[in-house]
Amino acid sequence: MKSMVKKSLIGLGVSAALMGTSIAQAEIKIALAGPVSGPVAQYGDMQFIGAEMAIEQINKAGGVNGEKLVGVKYDDACDPKQAVAVANKIVNDGIKFVVGHLCSSSTQPASDIYEDEGIVMVTAASTNPDITLQGYQMIFRTIGLDSLQGPVAGRFIAEKVKPKNIAVIHDKQQYGEGIATAVKSTVEKAGYNVVMFEGITAGDKDFSALVAKLKKNNVDFVYYGGYHPELGLILRQSKELGLQSQFMGPEGVGNKDISSIAGPASEGLLVTLPPSFEKDPKNASLVQAFKDKNQDPTGPFVMPAYSAVQVMADSMKATGSTDSEEVAEYMHKTAFSTPIGNVKFDEKGDLTSFNFVVYNWHQDGTKSEAK
Amino acid sequence: MSDSIYYFIQQIANGLTIGSTYALIAIGYTMVYGIIGMINFAHGEVYMIGTYISFIVLAGLTMLGFDNVFIMVGLAMMVSIMIASAYGFTIEKVAYKPLRSSKRLIALISAIGMSIFLQNYIRLAQGSRDIAMPSLIQGGFLLGDPDGSHILISYMQVIIIVTTIICMAGLTLFISRSRMGRACRASAQDIGMTNLLGINSNNVIATTFIIGASLAAVAGTLLGMYYGVVNPYVGFIAGLKAFTAAVLGGIGSIPGAMLGGLLLGVSESLTAGYFTAEYKDVVAFSLLILILLFMPQGILGKPEVEKI
Amino acid sequence: MQSRFSSAALAAGVTLILGFMVLGISFSVEGVVPTLEVSESHKIIGLLIGAGLVFLLQYFRAEVSKVTTKMKGDGQAHELPAFMRTEKQQRVLAFWAVGALLLFPFLSSRGAVDIATLTLIYVMLGLGLNVVVGLAGLLDLGYVGFYAVGAYSYALLNLYFDMSFWMALPIAGALAALFGYLLGFPVLRLRGDYLAIVTLGFGEIIRILLNNWTELTGGPNGIARIPKPTLFGLEFSRRPSEEGATTFHEFFGISYSSEYKVIFLYLMALLLVLLTIYVIRRLVRMPIGRAWEALREDDIACRSLGLNPTNIKLGAFTIGASFAGFAGSFFAARQGFISPESFTFIESAIILAIVVLGGMGSQLGVVLAACAMTILPEMAREFDEYRMLLFGLMMVLMMIWRPQGLLPMKRPHLELKRD
Repeated sequence: MKSMVKKSLIGLGVSAALMGTSIAQAEIKIALAGPVSGPVAQYGDMQFIGAEMAIEQINKAGGVNGEKLVGVKYDDACDPKQAVAVANKIVNDGIKFVVGHLCSSSTQPASDIYEDEGIVMVTAASTNPDITLQGYQMIFRTIGLDSLQGPVAGRFIAEKVKPKNIAVIHDKQQYGEGIATAVKSTVEKAGYNVVMFEGITAGDKDFSALVAKLKKNNVDFVYYGGYHPELGLILRQSKELGLQSQFMGPEGVGNKDISSIAGPASEGLLVTLPPSFEKDPKNASLVQAFKDKNQDPTGPFVMPAYSAVQVMADSMKATGSTDSEEVAEYMHKTAFSTPIGNVKFDEKGDLTSFNFVVYNWHQDGTKSEAK
Repeated sequence: MSDSIYYFIQQIANGLTIGSTYALIAIGYTMVYGIIGMINFAHGEVYMIGTYISFIVLAGLTMLGFDNVFIMVGLAMMVSIMIASAYGFTIEKVAYKPLRSSKRLIALISAIGMSIFLQNYIRLAQGSRDIAMPSLIQGGFLLGDPDGSHILISYMQVIIIVTTIICMAGLTLFISRSRMGRACRASAQDIGMTNLLGINSNNVIATTFIIGASLAAVAGTLLGMYYGVVNPYVGFIAGLKAFTAAVLGGIGSIPGAMLGGLLLGVSESLTAGYFTAEYKDVVAFSLLILILLFMPQGILGKPEVEKI
Repeated sequence: MQSRFSSAALAAGVTLILGFMVLGISFSVEGVVPTLEVSESHKIIGLLIGAGLVFLLQYFRAEVSKVTTKMKGDGQAHELPAFMRTEKQQRVLAFWAVGALLLFPFLSSRGAVDIATLTLIYVMLGLGLNVVVGLAGLLDLGYVGFYAVGAYSYALLNLYFDMSFWMALPIAGALAALFGYLLGFPVLRLRGDYLAIVTLGFGEIIRILLNNWTELTGGPNGIARIPKPTLFGLEFSRRPSEEGATTFHEFFGISYSSEYKVIFLYLMALLLVLLTIYVIRRLVRMPIGRAWEALREDDIACRSLGLNPTNIKLGAFTIGASFAGFAGSFFAARQGFISPESFTFIESAIILAIVVLGGMGSQLGVVLAACAMTILPEMAREFDEYRMLLFGLMMVLMMIWRPQGLLPMKRPHLELKRD
């Protein structure tokens, strides 16, 4: 990682030198806030490589209004307490544009501070609907909400799977419970009966009691809102205890680790995921740029993070200013063309549309689109 | 009618499986407490390390092309017991032995520190993500109608329960018959006096730590294969549950630890089966508080006589 | 000499074997089936350095133990430096220290003030737990439960009854105290270690309940938009939240700056910390404070002197809990958002470590330790990965080498004036 940063910095230096010294050496700082350390640091990396690539490419193309963009990393370790400290530090350092944070529980307390201080924040990963519920002017996101993903899954269940007895299980965390609730209300609206709606404890290992209960209720379809470690174990124990039902989960389970935990039991699992942006032919050159730097463009937050930087840079160019309030106002009004497709924000700062696709998961960790 | 009976038995079987592993880990707490009167907070981490070791051995043997499940599991368990007991021994030497004469609070804080240290040591060494192992032993016994109501007890569950019974029987024999076992019992009653009678209490204490760690390693191997995953954080919660089991049964009492473990496992399983899984831990801890209120010494513990 | 070398070599060898199994081999991240590989070189180097250290420590054990015995001291309080020995000198020093702390926010940046506020919250928690653990000798591993009660009290009172911070603060303290009382009432009959595990369970129960009771507490979503405190009803926001209200900067006719709000919160936290220190200082000199310490030293002697241990312990538990309640309210106000994940067991362990590191019972020690525990990790962010590892190691080493803490407690005593 370090050497990559170093290389990109050298790249920046070279490109600046090529452009000549006639340009004023002013720079626009963009804070990249997310976990550098801690258990979810791997997701933080996705956000960082996306944003850094965008900064590099924009600078190569001449920067913004003749000024260079500079990314500054801040580590919040996905801890709400540290997120507030980071937000205050960003205010301190006089930075007006933020890409981040990653975890919804960090983004939420930090966004209060940014709104208050007139700092534009674009998160590429926090999907909790509550964050933008408060009608903030400076807060945006380039990723779909849990409440969008839930209905997609719910409609798929109602229209394609048509199960008899549905169970909705979640891990009692912000992300999982949010999606599970949305799925439940969608399938109930479609006239289905949810026989079980229950939470489990994240980090738990023993789900045999739960599986027995699912079996007793003759459940033939289980939606799980949460992350892969728990669903992997549920799948595995279901197979061992002879529960035959179809499972489905959100993007948080769509990770090849689920196949190593659940083994053959993960075959045929349904997963809602954002479309694979790296497969879009329009992004071919960008994907190549990532591959040239030996980075993985397939992470779910890489392209949204790239787009977050691009949207801010485009708005600065269009308004010809770096005044954050002006930029935010412009962002609310305009549509942008980015690697994640056409981006348009609604009045809350959410994307007006963000697609989710249902995939069939396979036991070797690959996926194929479900029909 | 028979449907609900089957369901009940199924849940009891699930509870006994998890309960017997609690019991195995709880032995380590209860023996150490019985002899030196301290909570070995780091015991849960020894269990976690045991699981990691057995996974490493299993993965290594698979890579070398072994395919006899029994040899693989046996080897994994043996290596895991050896390394885990070495860890248990070292923990005692480093963190507890220098503190033996000081206050209990000091030793307990040192134990908490050791627990945090080991957890993060493994996190740094092996990463914080879950490491998975494919299930080696599949299938199970089926009672009743395969298409209707039935009870399914997997071979793995049977193995866990049977191994636990064997370990417990062996331990009971060891404690009641062997010379070292007698020394352990004597030390639990009065360590100063046994010392005067020519028994090296350092050896007795070291043996206690080694036995506790070995049983934790057995539990680690079994549970690791049953669930198929391990991460650096499994030790803390398992340790907490096992300690609760030890206190429930009466700390210091070996049959108490077994009883406490089974009781805790069954109560958790029934909570999840008839109420909701969210409140499983709340029920476990509430049970502990309630029992301690009415029987401060636990179910099978001896009432403590205060010595001045 | 020979045996010295061989025993050191043996220790190093054991370290190598134990370490190699977990440090030297790791699981490969690629693929679905688990495969092993030899770890990255830095782990191996770390292992070798570790074994080398063990060898040296064992080889020079006699020399090392000489140093550590010195560090241990005689178990008694150390003499204070000459400039702070008399009461009068101490007062002057305290006056200057408070003055410096009051001026601090106006001279430094917003980020620093924010960290300072967090530090003050930990000081408050440390002082509160110090009463329970340090003075009364009751090991409480669920202190974070009371902290959570305080934080949620303010957040919920504000959410449902629109109560202001200043109205909610005493209620939060009282509620936390009530919880302390209710928990303490049955469990304080238990002996030390049982008490530890029951309080630990209690802390977990509170967190799980907060997480599960979604209708009231918002469950894992937590509670957002918790307002900052006001100065006699004057808000510190850019625009007043209600029509017709005045904000701080409008009232005083100065231009808006977001720093005021952060500084104000800091000053209020400072005030409350000073108040806490004062109250506990008085308590220690009162009969109840003396009874706490007496009870910690000898339970039976206390009873034979006619003191009721249960009541005394209950007093310590309740008072300690109420300070956690105050600290919780400040935490909620500083964060503006709380969720159950901020109140895990590790938080209890950190607060306990502050008390132990500072020297159980010593107020100044606790203050210093709280500063060290919150500021050092902020300054050394790149060591973040290793923070908890070092933290655990430090707890063990402190207990072995210096169990009385950095600044051990000095018993308050009066002397006749000699002049």
